Amino acid sequence: MNYVLALVFGSFFGFALNKAGLTQYHKIVNQFRFTDMAVLKFMMTALVVAMGGLYALRGLGLVTFPAVPPTYIVGNLVGGLLFGVGMALTGY
Amino acid sequence: MKWLGSQIRKELWSPYSAGVLLGITGILVVFTGQKLGASGAFENVVGLLGKLAAPAAFNTMYFNYVMPAGISWGVILMVGAFFGGLIGAATSRSLWWGKKGAANSDAQWKAIFGPQVWKRWVIGFLGAILLEFAAGIAGGCTSGLAISGGMLLVPGAFLFIAGMFMSGIVTALVIYRSRY
Repeated sequence: MNYVLALVFGSFFGFALNKAGLTQYHKIVNQFRFTDMAVLKFMMTALVVAMGGLYALRGLGLVTFPAVPPTYIVGNLVGGLLFGVGMALTGY
Repeated sequence: MKWLGSQIRKELWSPYSAGVLLGITGILVVFTGQKLGASGAFENVVGLLGKLAAPAAFNTMYFNYVMPAGISWGVILMVGAFFGGLIGAATSRSLWWGKKGAANSDAQWKAIFGPQVWKRWVIGFLGAILLEFAAGIAGGCTSGLAISGGMLLVPGAFLFIAGMFMSGIVTALVIYRSRY
């Protein structure tokens, strides 16, 4: 059952990415050139919708948050710095 | 209904509507007690293959506890994402599967790096190594840390986004130079 849900949610995820055009190299790299803001619009919309929804659901007592990854400043930042290079090269 | 059909056949949605779809997916995923992540799945599979090929070398903290080897929930999620992307492309007739030039189809990529397919493979391969390594250090990628962490207001997610944009902008500057 859990795996069926994973397949369904995964296909939503892939579908959303494809329809936003983020499966294409130029969409990703043009975000870093600031000629196409689709990546930020997409990411921030997803964040705002999910944040609002999740915190509302938690307020109603309908959902408990999973254990969140601990903040590890050097790791998060260095990882992010390396990740950006790969992202601009491959358009992931 | 007709409207919905024409929307599904559209190649590009407004990033806002696609973002809403991902946001709702994110809520559903947390609701089932899981995490929306991409890079971890590859580490799970690598751990599984590594344990088959060289059990001693892969008998480490990392592959036993941090990123347990095996077919995890995330691996199935990525299989789903593959098919979701496939459906997305097929519905808008932008599926290039098996067609000529499909391996190097992005016009902007060709203008910058050249039309050769091997270049696309090599740069893609090296860039992906960098991506996966960086995601391992940071504890997640754009989806696993930035989006699914960000929606739970994890501080690390925002550090990661900041780092990603800093180096992404610099890399794009280096690649594009005067065309930036």
